[in-house]
Parts: sequence; C-alpha cells; structure tokens
Amino acid sequence: MANLGPGKAAISKEQAGLRYPSNGKTIYHRPLHRSKTAELSQSSFAYLFSEMVSYAQRRVTGIQDLEKRLNLQGHPVGLKLLDLLLTREPARTQTRPLTIIALLHLIKINLWTHLFGRQADRLEKSSNPDTPDEYMIVDNEPLVNAYISVPREMSQLNCAAFVAGIVEGMCDGAMFPARVTAHTVGGKEEGEMWPGKTVFLVKFQPEVLEREALIGKG
Amino acid sequence: MASSKASRLGEETRMDKVNAELVVLTYGTIVAQLCKDFDSDYVEVNKQLDKMGYNIGLRLIEDYLAKSNTVRRCANFRETAEMIAKVGFKIFLNITPTITNWTSDGKQFSLVFDENPFADFVELPDDGRAQDELWYSNILCGVLRGALEMVQMQVEAHFISDVLRGNDTTEMRISLIRYIDDELPPEDD
Amino acid sequence: MSYYFAIVGTQDNPLFEYEFGTSKQGGDGQSRFTEQARHLNQFVLHSSLDIVEEVQWTSGQLYLKVIDKFFNNYISCFMTAGNVKLMLLHQPTAVAAGASTRNSTSVGVNPTSPQTEEAIKNFFTEVYENYVKAIMSPFYKVNMEIQSPVFRQRVAAAGRKYL
Repeated sequence: MANLGPGKAAISKEQAGLRYPSNGKTIYHRPLHRSKTAELSQSSFAYLFSEMVSYAQRRVTGIQDLEKRLNLQGHPVGLKLLDLLLTREPARTQTRPLTIIALLHLIKINLWTHLFGRQADRLEKSSNPDTPDEYMIVDNEPLVNAYISVPREMSQLNCAAFVAGIVEGMCDGAMFPARVTAHTVGGKEEGEMWPGKTVFLVKFQPEVLEREALIGKG
Repeated sequence: MASSKASRLGEETRMDKVNAELVVLTYGTIVAQLCKDFDSDYVEVNKQLDKMGYNIGLRLIEDYLAKSNTVRRCANFRETAEMIAKVGFKIFLNITPTITNWTSDGKQFSLVFDENPFADFVELPDDGRAQDELWYSNILCGVLRGALEMVQMQVEAHFISDVLRGNDTTEMRISLIRYIDDELPPEDD
Repeated sequence: MSYYFAIVGTQDNPLFEYEFGTSKQGGDGQSRFTEQARHLNQFVLHSSLDIVEEVQWTSGQLYLKVIDKFFNNYISCFMTAGNVKLMLLHQPTAVAAGASTRNSTSVGVNPTSPQTEEAIKNFFTEVYENYVKAIMSPFYKVNMEIQSPVFRQRVAAAGRKYL
C-alpha cells in the first residue's frame, strides 16, 4: 500500500481549494436517491446522445473505432451504477454478485429497469461448447434506439455500443472482467416481429470462469 | 403571452420520458470526455459544449414548436424569455429557471437556475483551474443560441455564475443581438 | 478505543485515510495510538487484505465484520459493490481494557461485542453512502484518491455518531 503520509496529506489539503456556495451545499448534501425515480424527456436524451455520437464520429476513422469509443464512454457509467444500484437495494438483498448468474441478473433486472424502465427480455448462455465464457443479454426492442436521430443504419449500433460499455463497466467493477459487444440480430430469427432486437454478448475473461469453478467446488 | 399561460403550457406538454439519471450521467460522460480529449483545456471544452448545444438547438426548435403547440411568434423579447424559461426548460429539463435582471432596453436578461439536473452528482476537478475556467452546463448556452437563431433571433448566451464554481447561484446571461429577418416587424413594447 | 479507517482501492491502493478515537463513554474522539502503533496501522491493515480476498468470494455480504486480528488490533471490513474496501482497524486502549471494563459490551470498549459490530456496520454504511456520492461525479475515475475536505468531515461525523 503506497504511503499517504501525513506530509503529503497536509500539502494536498492546502491545495484542495474547491470553493463551495455559502449555503455549504455540496454533492455530499444531496440525498443520493433523490433522483431515483425522476424523469426527463426522451428527446433531451436523444439530442445529447446523437450529439455525443456525432462528436465521436469526427474523432475516429471507422465504425469499429466509433463503437470502441462509445463503449469506453459507457464504461464509467456502469462502474458508478454498480454501486449506486446496490445501495438502493433493500438491506436483505443487498449483496455483491459472487457468480456470473447473479451478476447477469443484476444487469438484466436492476440495470435495465433503471435505464429503460423494464427488464431485458432474456438471458442466455452460449450453447456452443467452445465458448462457455459467452453469455447473451437479449433486448427485443432496445428503448433507446427508438429515438436516436443519427443516420438510421448506424443508430442501433451506436447506441447499443454505449449500453454495452455500461454493461462492461458493471462487469469489470464487480470483478468479472469481460468484453461486451452489441449485435443487432433483428429480422434474422423472428421475422419482422423484433426488427431492433439486440444481443449484448458478454465474453468473460478466463479467470472469471476459473474462479467460478473453484467457488462451485467450495 | 401572459406569464401564467406560459407556465401552464410547460406543465401540460406531455412527453415521453426516460430516467433522469441516464440523461445526467450521459451528459457527465460527454463533459468528462471533452476534458480528456482537450487535455483539460477548459476554455476549449466550453467552446465545444457550446457548439454541441448549438447543433442541438437547431434541431430542437422544431420539436419545441410541435410539443408546445406554439403557432405565433413571440411579440417581444420579454415574451421570448417567458417561453424559454417556462415552456422550453420545462419540457426538456423539467425545470423552470427564474427570469431576472432585465436591462432597461429589454434586450438582456438572466436565467437563474435553482435546480440544474445536469449538475446533480457533479463536483468539478480540484485542480485549481476547473472552478475558474469550466462552465459545466455550457451546452445550454449553445442550445438557446441555436434554437433562437432558427426563429430569427441572434442571441449571445453565457453563464456568469455557477454553484459548481462555488457561486451562490447559477446564472446565465442572454442578450438579444438582433432579429435576423429585418423584414419582420421590430418589437413594439 | 482508537480507530484507523482507510478506503482501499481495487489495486490495493489507499484512497482515503482517517484516524480517530471513540466518542462513546465520554471519549473525546481523539485516537490514542502510540507513535509506534501509528506507524504500524497501515501495515497491519494491508496485511489483512489477503484475508479479505479469501472472504470476499465466500460471502456476498457487504459488511464482512471482523476479518482479522493482529495482537490488540481488530480489522473490520466492508466491501463495496465495486470491490473497494472500507477497512477499520480498532484498537482498545490499554487503560480501557482493564479489569473494570473487561466484560463491558459497549462500543467504545469492547471490540467484538454485537453492539460494536452493529455500530461499525452503521459507520460503514454511512461512509459508503458518501463514498458513492463521491464516485458519482463524472470527474471521479476509479481508484482516485478522495481529497474532498467535505468527505473527510462526513467520515468524521459518522465516526462521532456511531463509534
């Protein structure tokens, strides 16, 4: 553990020069759950989001770069929501996820409900024996895609990449390091019923499965 | 339009909603990303935010006109201020900033934000500069500039105080530069 | 009782430290660590991180209670969802551990009584809430030190209130 010795602390305290309003209000005074159920217009989100995407587009060279960038931008949101959502659980269910399934449920239920007002539609484990590390979170009709006014052919990909980043941040924060990517699969399997159907593919790092095996034995 | 009528319009306008925290956190990642991209050159970050807001404003005005059922143009800049504060901000951010500090020529006013959802959860970096240089919510200035330009008003908008900087209020100053289409009748109040 | 509280990041890096004493039973809130003990606190806390790593995958509880003891030092731990550790080293003062108070269950004296366990839980819970407020800021990056004097005041207040 690196030293945060008193000398250093004293110096940083002097430098800690944030000013506060005279009423003393800071982020620490604001009740953490005040905006838990607060709502804002979808358009506000859509405008912000599409501006975020077009800004990102100007700074990248291809769609993969763009997705990576949006994924990176979603990542810290996932980290923050992991703690925020857990503190909002009732005390008896306030537990850290210890298994992949517990984590994915937290994402499918808590994260989705928080962000989109409903659970994700399905959770699936890869049926391919070669990829036991892959799981899928299925959203038949991603809410956010509906009103993002970036070019149609890119919109679903864009928005979902941001959400994938949020999911990835949650996995990483909970110490289930994973790579999460979004794939539009609508139209392929179920005709036109869910044209926007999106699969979030969660690929866990090998150490996660190793640990899971150990815990299972214990 | 009477002030009370503007308020009612803001209240009555029904909108599809999303979780406010999603919007707030998304805006946070935008500002954080800009700070990273421009290596904490906050003056540049302000400019970028304003630019983003401007782009949003250009498109948002249609939405605003449709949602607010506004058919006729504002009779004067004071009425414009009422509509911005009580309809525009109410629709899009669910807040109603206070209009104040008019200049006697009726061409400049302030919006004072008692609430600012964008600033929820936010503490500026403690680097000795951010509180002097960064206007965290600067995107809003751009939005007003862009939206009003679409209805033939050239305005200048900038924040003059922000609780995130340790000020007691968050105040934006809006100045009418000119009506863009000179053929339209000048304001008569 | 003397307390040394630290928030330890996911790379075992310290994010925050605070030392205080009990405010219960007429305590003045000042720690009574000897100079020697003070130098050891960080080391002692750090040594119990291995145990935290074992315990954290056997229990999903946030509050892991006393996870380690080193001579007269008791280490309580609270894991955040993001696997940051809130750790409290509590050390009964030599005088207070004397015969008259040995059987006491009170928070300021007995480091392992149910009352103490509960008090520490409340302390951690309050600090956790403030910690989440700190990390919610878009400018907070994972494993950044928490330097806010307001956060420090909040931790101090939680200490006074419960411990």
